Amino acid sequence: MVSTTAATAATTSFVFPSTYNFPPFFTPQPNSTTRHSQLQKWSSLIQSWCRHHRTYRLSLVDAVDSPLFHNTALRKRLALAEARAVVDWMTKKEEEGGGGQRAEWIEAGGNTAPKIVAWIWWRRPEEWADVLVDWVDATGQKGVVLTVFELLQGEATVSQEFHGMDNDVMMKSLNVLVKRGKASVFGNEGEEGVKFF
Amino acid sequence: MSRRGVGLGAFANRTQATQSFATHGANLRSTHTASLQTQLSVFQSLLHTFALEHSSTIKSNPTFRAEFARMCNTIGVDPLAASNVKGKNGRRGLGEGGSFWTQIMGGDMNDFYFEVAVRVVELCRDTREENGGLIGVEECRKRVRKGKAIGSGLEVSEDDILRAVRSLEPLGSGFSIVHVGSKQYIRSIPKELNTDQATVLEVIQMLGFVSVSMLQLNLNWEKARAQTVIDDLLADGLVWLDAQGPEKEYWSPQNLLDDSG
Repeated sequence: MVSTTAATAATTSFVFPSTYNFPPFFTPQPNSTTRHSQLQKWSSLIQSWCRHHRTYRLSLVDAVDSPLFHNTALRKRLALAEARAVVDWMTKKEEEGGGGQRAEWIEAGGNTAPKIVAWIWWRRPEEWADVLVDWVDATGQKGVVLTVFELLQGEATVSQEFHGMDNDVMMKSLNVLVKRGKASVFGNEGEEGVKFF
Repeated sequence: MSRRGVGLGAFANRTQATQSFATHGANLRSTHTASLQTQLSVFQSLLHTFALEHSSTIKSNPTFRAEFARMCNTIGVDPLAASNVKGKNGRRGLGEGGSFWTQIMGGDMNDFYFEVAVRVVELCRDTREENGGLIGVEECRKRVRKGKAIGSGLEVSEDDILRAVRSLEPLGSGFSIVHVGSKQYIRSIPKELNTDQATVLEVIQMLGFVSVSMLQLNLNWEKARAQTVIDDLLADGLVWLDAQGPEKEYWSPQNLLDDSG
């Protein structure tokens, strides 16, 4: 699962914000206040891009050539180092002057160079956990045992936003619920079951 | 009248004549003033009736509202002037409590402008990081019209925005209207633009962006002067830098505003 989640064929094309057509958007701004505003705009663009394409992990090496970081019409691009700076900012807490932990670097098995692939939390695991709880409540499935596969691929969840989501993100979200005492996860890796309380 | 008097008596006559001319003049003047005052008060009361009759249109139609406000200004009625300046310009005829709007249309007209003012303040504050506290009145109007939430848009004219900004003045808010070229801006950070800076902003308005060499060519500025002005604008957050072209380009962030922000 080191590779990035393939962007599912989007039914509607992504609408870029007007910032995307503003040439200076692709140059790191020397003025710190302006820079802060720029980072916020990048963060929100990356999140909505990933949300649109149902991308959970973003590989920067691939992304720098995608429309996200490369505006072919303007012939402007966000260089790899600069994209990394933006994502790095996103990983930091707001109190640290960052983007509110909307991203997280994936330290993959030691063989991938660090700060290449990152989780993009257009919804943080805690937020996904809330979505799951709401769904369980709404469908009256408290106490019912479900497999993780059912949650991700089952017919019952087709209409849900978490349907077909990244397996690791699902496990992270379920673990949040486990910590909160709202669910328990059991079974072997790859065939986990979950029970909501 | 012009018969020249003869002898010593003529001196007395002349003084008399001057005096009577003066009296007559004064009479004329006061009659004139009186009649003008009558006209004005008649006009004001007509305006009052007019405003009452068309209050719903004034409230709903921004163009109509602007025209009406302009008319009021022409005859010395400041529709927004609140009770703290009452009677300043002989406006006593309209009563002393509250502003003109309040009297003729209830509180909601003032509320309307305060609402607009609140939106303007919010917008200025939200966008201060990206535009250095300078926002075009037109851009501001678009944003206020759009509103933040569904259904929160306000149908406003530029005149309404300007009026709302002016209504903030008594608060010492530091909000002011700045003219750059043909455009009006709201400045929410109390800082003066010097002539060179204003000139550069004007050029950006026309060309979309500037570079040092463009300024050198078009304004015959020395390189150091052009660079200094741009550096100042950059330091104030009024322009953004694009370093990916052959020469550094400086853009105004005014067009960023349609962003969901």
